[in-house]
Amino acid sequence: MPQTLSTREANLFRTVIRHYEEKQYKRGLKAAEQILKKNPKHGDTMSMKALIMNSQGKTEEAFALAKEALTIDMKSHICWHVYGILYRQHKNFDEAIKAYKFALKLEPESQQIQRDLAVLQVQIRDYQGYVQSRFAMLKAKPHLRQNWTALAIAYQLEGSLEQAENILTTYEKSMTNVPLKTDQEHSEALLYKNTIIAERGDIQRALEHLESDCKNCLDRLAVMEMRARYLGQLNRKEEAAKAWRALLDRNPEHPEYYKGLIEALEIDEKDEAALKAIYDEYAAKYPRSDAAKRLPLNFLTGDSFKAAAKSYLTNMLDRGVPSVFANLKHLYSDEAKKAAVLALAEEYLKEHKGSEQANGDSSKGVGAALYFLAQHYNYHLSRDLAKAMEYVEQAIELDPKNVDFHMTKARIFKHQGDTAKASEAMDHARRLDTKDRYINSKAAKYQLRNNENEKALETMGLFTRAETVGGPLADLTDMQCMWFLTEDGEAWQRRGNTGLALKRFTTIHNIFDIWQEDQFDFHSFSLRKGQIRAYVDMIRWEDSIREHPFYFRAALDAVKLYLDMFEKQQAAANGTNGTGEATNGDDAAEKKKAAKKARKEAQKAEREAAEKAAKQDPNKATAKKDEEPKKKDDDPNGLKLAATTDPLGDAMKFLDNILQFSPKNIEGQIAGFDVYIRRKKYLLALRCLNAAQALNPEHPRVKEQYAELQKAVESLDDAVSVKVKEVLKAKFSS
Amino acid sequence: MDIRVLRPSDIPLIQHANIENLPENYFLKYYLYHALSWPQLSYVAVDVSRPAKSAYDYPKIVGYVLAKMEEEPTDGVQHGHITSLSVMRTHRRLGIAEKLMRQSQQAMVETFGAHYVSLHVRVSNAAAIHLYRDTLGFKTEKTEAKYYADGEDAYCMKLDLSPIREAIQKEQLEENGEKKPEEKG
Amino acid sequence: TGGDVEEEVQPTAKSAEDRKAAAALSSLDSNNREDESSAKVDQDAVKNAFNSLSTAGSKQAEVKKVKVDAADVALLVDELELTKAKATELLKSHDGDAVKAINAYVAAPAA
Repeated sequence: MPQTLSTREANLFRTVIRHYEEKQYKRGLKAAEQILKKNPKHGDTMSMKALIMNSQGKTEEAFALAKEALTIDMKSHICWHVYGILYRQHKNFDEAIKAYKFALKLEPESQQIQRDLAVLQVQIRDYQGYVQSRFAMLKAKPHLRQNWTALAIAYQLEGSLEQAENILTTYEKSMTNVPLKTDQEHSEALLYKNTIIAERGDIQRALEHLESDCKNCLDRLAVMEMRARYLGQLNRKEEAAKAWRALLDRNPEHPEYYKGLIEALEIDEKDEAALKAIYDEYAAKYPRSDAAKRLPLNFLTGDSFKAAAKSYLTNMLDRGVPSVFANLKHLYSDEAKKAAVLALAEEYLKEHKGSEQANGDSSKGVGAALYFLAQHYNYHLSRDLAKAMEYVEQAIELDPKNVDFHMTKARIFKHQGDTAKASEAMDHARRLDTKDRYINSKAAKYQLRNNENEKALETMGLFTRAETVGGPLADLTDMQCMWFLTEDGEAWQRRGNTGLALKRFTTIHNIFDIWQEDQFDFHSFSLRKGQIRAYVDMIRWEDSIREHPFYFRAALDAVKLYLDMFEKQQAAANGTNGTGEATNGDDAAEKKKAAKKARKEAQKAEREAAEKAAKQDPNKATAKKDEEPKKKDDDPNGLKLAATTDPLGDAMKFLDNILQFSPKNIEGQIAGFDVYIRRKKYLLALRCLNAAQALNPEHPRVKEQYAELQKAVESLDDAVSVKVKEVLKAKFSS
Repeated sequence: MDIRVLRPSDIPLIQHANIENLPENYFLKYYLYHALSWPQLSYVAVDVSRPAKSAYDYPKIVGYVLAKMEEEPTDGVQHGHITSLSVMRTHRRLGIAEKLMRQSQQAMVETFGAHYVSLHVRVSNAAAIHLYRDTLGFKTEKTEAKYYADGEDAYCMKLDLSPIREAIQKEQLEENGEKKPEEKG
Repeated sequence: TGGDVEEEVQPTAKSAEDRKAAAALSSLDSNNREDESSAKVDQDAVKNAFNSLSTAGSKQAEVKKVKVDAADVALLVDELELTKAKATELLKSHDGDAVKAINAYVAAPAA
C-alpha cells in the first residue's frame, strides 16, 4: 500500500470496517473522513467509504470512488475486494468474479475474499469455479466439517457424484468421536450422502447405507420414505409393503403411500375389488381420512363406482364439506362418471328436500346439494348456466347469508360474461364476512376483471398494513402479491393504460429477481445449519424459478403488449411516410402528440421527484419513519416504460426467460416468433416455429406463422448472409 | 387432497395462499428461512384433483403449516413454534388444519426433541381457538396485548408434547427389546 | 463527540411477528460466525485425509482444437443473439461449420 497510516489512523480504519459491518453507516463515513483528511490518497479508506456509500444507495458515486481508489492503489486487495462487492450488488457478476480473483491473488490468505468468491460462483452456477474455490477453502481449514460438506455439494452440483461421495466418506473416516445423537449436522450429512448414493443409481448400496449408518438419523420420516422407495425399486415386495403400511399409519392422506403399497402387493390395476379392499382397510382404520374414501373413485367403474360415489357424496353433503365438488370434478372427463355423479346429487336433493330446518346449518344437507348442483352446472364440462343460476338462487333463498353461495353466484355471472354483475355479487359475498381476507381477495379480483382498478385497490386496502408508506399498492408490492399485480396489470391493459400495465408486469419481473437473489445468504447459512438436502432442493428449484406460471403469465402479457405497441408505432410511422401528406396524417399527428405528452409528463414527474428529494436534507433521518436507502421509483406510473421507442427490444428480457424456462408452452413460442420476425431475426423466428410445430403442428396460429416466414424468406435481400439464407430456404424446400 | 412435507418449490404458492387468506404476510425469503432451517416441520395440503393447465403446473396449495423451533428459547427448553397456519376457505371441514398440525408436532419431537409447541392466535378468532384448544389440546398461557399489526391482542397458547415423546421412547424400547439409559437433549 | 451524528433509523418492525422475521432475516447474512462442528476431529487425520485427495479434479470441458472463423462467430452473435463465448462454443462443437451449428441451434428440442 502506498500510504501507511499512523497508529491513530490505523485504529480509525478498523472502526470504519466495524461500523460498516454493524450497519452504522454515518459513523463509518465520519471515521473515514477523519482518515482522509490526513491521508487523502489512502486507497483502502476510499474503498471502504465507497462501500458504505453503496449501502446507503449512492450507487453511482460509490462506483466512481471505488474506481478512483483502485487507480491510486492497484495492489490493494481491499480495493479490489470492494470493487467486486459493488459489481456483484449491481448484478455484473462476471466483473465481480474477476475483481474477487484479483483480490485473492493479492491476498491469498483472505478467507473473506475466498468466501465471497465461492458464494458468487455458486450463485451464478459456475460449478467448476465453485469446486476450485471450495477445494482451496478446505485446504485452508480442513478441521471444519462445513468445508468438507461444501466441497461435496460443489462436486454433486457439478455432476461428479463419485467425488462428492468420496469427500463425505473421507471426512467420516477421520472423525474420532461419535457425534451426539442429536447432532443435526451429522444426521443430515449422512442422509445427504445417502441421496448421492441413490442418485448414482446404486439403490442396493443406498438401502444398506440407510439401514446401517442412517439407522438413528433424526429425520424419521425421510428414513422411512427412502427405505420404502428403495425396497420397492429393489423388488423386495414383502418388506416394501410393510414399509408403506408403516407410512400409511403415520399419514393416511398421502396418495404416494397407497400407490407404493399397491405396487408392492402386486395388485393388478384392473382388479377393482382388490384395490378397493386396500383403501377400505384404511378408511375403516382411519375414518377421518379423506384420501382413503376418495381415491377409489378414480379407478372404480360401473356399479361399484356408483356405490362408492354415493357413499362419499352422501357423507360429504351431510357434513356440509364445501370442497366436495372440487374434489370430484376431475372425474368428469369420464362421461359415465359425470352422469352418475349428477344423478346421485339430484337423488340426494330429492330425498332431503322438505327436511331442511328453518334455522339449521344451510351448508349441510339440502343447502349442500343445491350448492353442489350449482357448481356442477357452472363447470365447463357440464355447463348449463341457467340451471346453475336456478340452483344457486334456491340455495341463497335457503340462507341469504351464506358466503359460499354468493361466491358461486358471482362465478356464474362471470361465465355468462357479465363482469359487472359478477363483481357486484362477489362484493355482496365479501360484505357478509368482512373479517375474512379470502373473500376480500376474491372480491378485489372480480373488481379487477371488471376493470375497476381503483375500487379493487380500495378493497385490498381493507387488509393491507396501514403504516406502509405508499398505501395499499406499495404494501402489496412489498409483500410480493403476485396475483394482484398480475390481475391489476391485465385490467390496465384492457383499459388501454399501457404505462401502468407494463409497470405491473415489470414489477413481477423484478420480484423474481429478488427471489433469485434471496438464495444468496443461504449458500453459507445452510452449511452452518447442516440441512443440506433442503439446500440442494432449493438450488434445483431456483435453477428454473422463472418457469413458474406466475412469471410466465406476466411475461407473456408484457410481450404481447410490446408487440401491440410496436404495431401502433409502425402504423403511425407509415402514416407520415415522408411524403408529407397522407391519409392517416391526422392519426399520426395524434400519435406523435400523445407520445410527446407522455414524454413531457415523464420529465415533469422526474423534475418533481428531484425537487422533492433536494428539499429533504439527506442527513436528517426525521422526515419519514422508514428512511431506508430504498431505490426511489423514478417511474411510478410507467410513463417511461410506455414512452419507449424500442418496444420489441424492451420485450426481450421477458421473452428470453419465457423461451429459456417455459419452452414447452406453445403460447410462448408463438409470441417469440412474432417478436423475432418483426425484429428481422429470421433464424430465431425459425427456432420458435420449429419448437411450436413440435408441440402442436395443427395449431392455427402456427400454420399462419409458417406462411409468414415463408413469405419473408422469399423476399430476403442481398444484405442477408448466404449461410442464413441456406438454413432458411431449407425449411421451405421439400 | 394430499398432505405432505413442504418443498422449496412449493413456496410461491404457499406465499400466495397466505396473502390471499391472512393479513400477516411474509417475504419469500422468510419462507425459505423456515424451509432451510427446519425442513421437517412444515407441511402442505395440496389439491390433487385439479386438472393440469400447462406443462409447468405447480401443486396447488390449499392449506399449510409453517413451523419452526424457537432459536433462542427464553426458558431454555427446546420447543417448537407455529409461525403461520392457514386453510383455504373452500377446503374447510376436511380436518386439514388438524392433520397438518399433528404431522408437524410429530416431526418436532422426533427431529428436534421438542418438549412443547407454542403459537399466537387472535383473541377474536373463535374457530382457530376451538381447533387449538378443543381439538388439539393447547392451553392458553397468557395474553399479549396489541400483538398484531392492527392492534388486536393475541393469546399465547402452548401444547405439551410429552405424550408424543413418551410414545416414541416406548416404541424405541420395544424395538430394542431392552432398557436404554435416558438420553440427554 | 457522538452528539451530532444521527444514528441510522432502522425500519421499525410493525408487530411482534415482524420483529421476529426481521431479526431472523438480518442474522442470515452474518458470515462472521463459523460454527465449529460438535464432533471432535482429529486434526492430523483430516489433514492426511485432505492430502490423500488429488487436486480439485473437477470436470473440465474438452477443449476441442477446432478452428473457427471470426466472421462466423460474428454472424452467430448477431443472428442468434449469443454471447461471443457461446457462439464460439457452438461452432466448435460442430467442427466450425456455421450452417451445421445454426441448424442444430434452431432445431426443435428432442421431446
